[in-house]
Amino acid sequence: PVVQPGSGNAIVINPCQRLNPVLEHIRNVTKEFGDVVPDFQLGRTTCALFLSLKYHRLHPEYVHTRIQKLGNAFNLRILLLMCDISEHQDPIRELTKICLINNMTIVVCWSAEEAGTYLATYKAFEHKSPDLIKERQEKDYQSILRAALTSINKVNKTDVETLRTTFGVTTYFPQIHIIAIFLTNTHFKSFAGIAKASPEQLRSLPGFGQVKVRRIKDAFEKPFRNNA
Amino acid sequence: MSTEQLLPYQTEILQNLHDPLTSELLILARGLGLRKIISTLLKIYDSPQNLVLLVNTLPEEDGSFGEELGIMGCRKPGLRIVGYEMGRKERQNLYKQGGLISVTSRILVVDLLQSDIPVDLITGLVVLHAEKVTALSLEAFIVRLFREGNQSGFVKAFTDEPEHITSGMYPLKSILKELQLRKVHIYPRFHEEIKKSLERRRADVVELYQPLTEPMSEIHQAIVQCMSATLSELKRSNTSLELEDFNVENAYFKSFDSIVRRLLDPVWHKVGPKTKQLVSDLGTLRNLLTYLISYDCLAFHAYLETIMASNSTTASGAQKQHQSPWLFMDAANTIFQSAKRRCYLSTAPGKAKSGPTVIDLVDDEDVWDALNEAEGLPSAASTSKPPEPPKKPKRKKWIPEGMDPVLEELPKWNLLADVLQEIEEEMIRLEGTTSFATPGTNTVLVMCSSQRTCELLSEFVSSMDTSAERGSKGRKMMERRLRLYLWWKGKLSSNQKEGRGIFQLPARTNDTQQNDSNVNEGISDALKKKDAVTKDRLANRRRLRGGAPATAASGRSQIPSLTTAQEGSMSSKEREKLGIMVGEGEMRSEADNIADFLATQKAEGFIADDEVPILTPFGGGTQGLGIDVDEEIAMSLDTIDFDSEYDANFGLLQPQQTVIVRPYSDDSDDRLLAEIRPRFIVMYEPNQDFIRRIECYRSSNPGLAVRVYFMVYQFSCEEHKYLAGIRREKDAFERLIRERGSMLIPIMEKTERAGSSSENIIKTISTRIAGGGKQLNTDPSQVIVDMREFRSTLPSLLHAAKVLIVPATLTVGDYILTPDICVERKSIPDLLASFSSGRLYTQCELMSVHYKQPILLIEFEEHKSFSLQTVGELKNYAKPTGKYPPKKKPNEPAPETISVTSIQSKLVLLTLSFPRLRIIWSSSPYATADIFKDLKMQRPEPDPSRAIALGAEEDPDAGAGINAAAEELLQALPGITSKNVKYVMSKVGSVSELCELDKAAVQKILGIEPGTTCFEFLHRGEQST
Repeated sequence: PVVQPGSGNAIVINPCQRLNPVLEHIRNVTKEFGDVVPDFQLGRTTCALFLSLKYHRLHPEYVHTRIQKLGNAFNLRILLLMCDISEHQDPIRELTKICLINNMTIVVCWSAEEAGTYLATYKAFEHKSPDLIKERQEKDYQSILRAALTSINKVNKTDVETLRTTFGVTTYFPQIHIIAIFLTNTHFKSFAGIAKASPEQLRSLPGFGQVKVRRIKDAFEKPFRNNA
Repeated sequence: MSTEQLLPYQTEILQNLHDPLTSELLILARGLGLRKIISTLLKIYDSPQNLVLLVNTLPEEDGSFGEELGIMGCRKPGLRIVGYEMGRKERQNLYKQGGLISVTSRILVVDLLQSDIPVDLITGLVVLHAEKVTALSLEAFIVRLFREGNQSGFVKAFTDEPEHITSGMYPLKSILKELQLRKVHIYPRFHEEIKKSLERRRADVVELYQPLTEPMSEIHQAIVQCMSATLSELKRSNTSLELEDFNVENAYFKSFDSIVRRLLDPVWHKVGPKTKQLVSDLGTLRNLLTYLISYDCLAFHAYLETIMASNSTTASGAQKQHQSPWLFMDAANTIFQSAKRRCYLSTAPGKAKSGPTVIDLVDDEDVWDALNEAEGLPSAASTSKPPEPPKKPKRKKWIPEGMDPVLEELPKWNLLADVLQEIEEEMIRLEGTTSFATPGTNTVLVMCSSQRTCELLSEFVSSMDTSAERGSKGRKMMERRLRLYLWWKGKLSSNQKEGRGIFQLPARTNDTQQNDSNVNEGISDALKKKDAVTKDRLANRRRLRGGAPATAASGRSQIPSLTTAQEGSMSSKEREKLGIMVGEGEMRSEADNIADFLATQKAEGFIADDEVPILTPFGGGTQGLGIDVDEEIAMSLDTIDFDSEYDANFGLLQPQQTVIVRPYSDDSDDRLLAEIRPRFIVMYEPNQDFIRRIECYRSSNPGLAVRVYFMVYQFSCEEHKYLAGIRREKDAFERLIRERGSMLIPIMEKTERAGSSSENIIKTISTRIAGGGKQLNTDPSQVIVDMREFRSTLPSLLHAAKVLIVPATLTVGDYILTPDICVERKSIPDLLASFSSGRLYTQCELMSVHYKQPILLIEFEEHKSFSLQTVGELKNYAKPTGKYPPKKKPNEPAPETISVTSIQSKLVLLTLSFPRLRIIWSSSPYATADIFKDLKMQRPEPDPSRAIALGAEEDPDAGAGINAAAEELLQALPGITSKNVKYVMSKVGSVSELCELDKAAVQKILGIEPGTTCFEFLHRGEQST
């Protein structure tokens, strides 16, 4: 059967992968076998080779022949590496170099399920726009606030919660220790309010020790640049 | 001055250490004056001819070292501190001047690498906290760089935490190896010389063993029971692990958590949520144990209630999947019941108020008295107290019907009251015999473990009713706290009601309902708040004795405490989040009752408390403005009244009347003792270090009679912890001494500068082996590293792998390996964060523009699992195999199930967007260093000036020092992208400055629309004028 590779919405699988346990984990996209050079053809310009490190240990030359066969075809060439041995450091190092020379991108997975998910995702996202991972602005206030404050080292989500409840943006929260209510004594009304809070005020909050307070104050008040 | 004299053993240590030709490590037991020894040593070297660097200090230590040195008389210029604010030129000048300089490790590494500091002129390094030095730490890197250029200077390392030197097979050896030292001095407390010095003059110690009250010991036992059950559950669910260290005694210590994490880290992704829950439960239970003996009964009870509340619901309001198993034990019930019984008893309204309360109190009284008699303590109460049950003078009106306050006080409070009484009598007795020549002051020093306990104790001491009988001396304070507690409970209930309401109604249609409740609450809140404010104020006024300088500030800051929480409780968002609470019916109904009671109180127009005078006619009818007004009152009270009363209450006090309550801290306690020179010291909680400090204090002050009262709860975790702590330290010292005896001392070969000639030859040879170019590469192998990356361990490892590190401030990428290869390093948490913020996309974009081979390095941590997946994540993918077939709706399109939020999908999207991007998967920084070396083979070296210039066109300050924390914070703000962040930084000094700008100014910097978003984010929640 001659199949026109890469034409439809299906992953085209090289018949040599027929017994690969990964196949049964490729879900949510259609699959078909076809005469293609790589192991998986995931799109017009995308392909993947599959390599299990266990197999690589036994047949180190295999991957080279496959890469050679691939030539310069395809724009995005994935080497899907299944990490199924514990001594992975050396083979990965060696493969990293090979891939750099041959313009391939390594993707490491740890289970057949993960491998299947990767393959299916590549197909499904073939025409997806990268908006998902681009910088966005239209997030809600809370998560921006959380992201901003947790970017300070040592500040965790609970602390943001504490700050937030304390500066009165939002309200009472059952998890917050009662001490928070007994001891909080300041009005940090907003983000700018936190910037104005004194170290003493911050220190009186539960879970805020010296180190944390110092980090917060450093991030807010110290200048971005020294003028060297 | 006598206190500045060194004790004989300290002199001996200094004689061993002072030689500038030798390098060594000193391990000293804690509390024996390490800071003093180091300061004296530094003083010896203080001269412009020397350049001595103090490395690895904690920031707060820098100050105290400077102070200590100042007191010792080396002031000009004394110890100078280098932080990152100091510019490069300034630092260079400073180094040239010589003297004593304390430098942050990160800056020192960069300065050493850039040769800003004359390495060959450094007299020596003084490394603190040597116990924290590992092969990966910056200090090891510093020593390596230092030794490369300077063989004659000294390295003197210090530590007073032998317990921490435990990692690996030969912990001591590895530290010595990293610091390139060959000699180690160990001075435990049982060292001959120290014994001789300290045991000549002993302090007069009174040990007081206070038993727990009956309900307390019940709770104590129940908690221990819960802990052992949790532990055995943990063992049962992880049979594969070696868990021999898992026992309740070890679980008392905080370090236990890190032991557990270390054991579980390699398999952390495999353990189920149940195990994780168990591990965190152990932490909670351990906290409970300490809170039991340090919190007052109401705070403890309230804490338990919050635990219960947070356990039954998640933050999103859904019922929690994995509840802590210990909550279902009988013992847990005991904990909750007894904790409540310590606070109050619920009786049916209208019934007589006799019964269990009274019995309870009597029991306790008897127990205490009996014990005090047995110990021969002077116990005024036991002789004078009539055996009849203590009856309450009159029922407070604000206490709801059906509630009988018990308000058990912590037994140590009474003990403290007795001790203070005794001390006072003793002072009067000694009045005649002492003269001005007698050393010491009559100030009583009370030491306890935490700032919190400190505040509690000073409140107790200041509001203490000395004439009251035992067990109720702090009644007033407790009643005040009960009121706060009732108010809080009422709040809880009203919140819950709201929560339920919202769940029945469609979201956000209940504005009117909320307004109603706001009105209601507005009134009562305002009243309650005012009460609280006046009460607090009165408390301040009453503080006659306990007004120590340290506590004065805290007393002040407590006044407006209620306002925020209240205002907070009004807004609507959280209520939706709160959701329905499950499985705490009793607690809730109780809360409801209290809320109802508060409501009725308000309805009757009952405003004033019988003992609190009304301060101002603020009150009902100000619901709208209520908050503001109250806040203003609070503020005015806070500032004006406090200042005006300051002199009356906090001015000059007779030393006899002063009681200072302080928490234990580090070596600065020595200074505290030396300055206050107390004759009477109360150790409210046991602390081994402080005992030694007192020993030193006593020994260096001949003729000063010190009396120490040492309090400990009998048969409690506190006692156990204290004893186990002593044992652990002793064991650690013995282990170290043994290791020193059998240690193979490494001989340090002379280290060459990285990339120097011999290395070069090897590199060229290996290049040939790889079949590469024929020409000899004469440039040293080098990697350009971004300044910010010196926080990570990779630069140090690269340097250890003989690669020359060139620090630079890079705009694009983190590491530049060759003119074409640019690497962006991401640890796993980093990766997640920068995926969701979108920063990674921009970074990859920039790399792709400027370099031929952009590389993303995904670096895992060394001992953690090398895997992206966790069990929890796996479950997101519906598995058709297994017991539970997925319930898929027939009309749902198939690709919907591919999760778009998982990290795998994002990686896929990233590679699809940047086909040229390569990914390096590295299981540890070591592996990364290997891979980097591999990639650099037979490739040209990168050019630093080009790398710095790339992408930095819009940044006029390129190359300057950077405050990374501030930059990250700035980048996380809306309206600021990685494209304009550099520009913003050149326009605004700091984040605070940005916050203070007005809208137009922000818009001018960011542009109209992003400027608006940013401004609105910064100031959201403030009342617009």
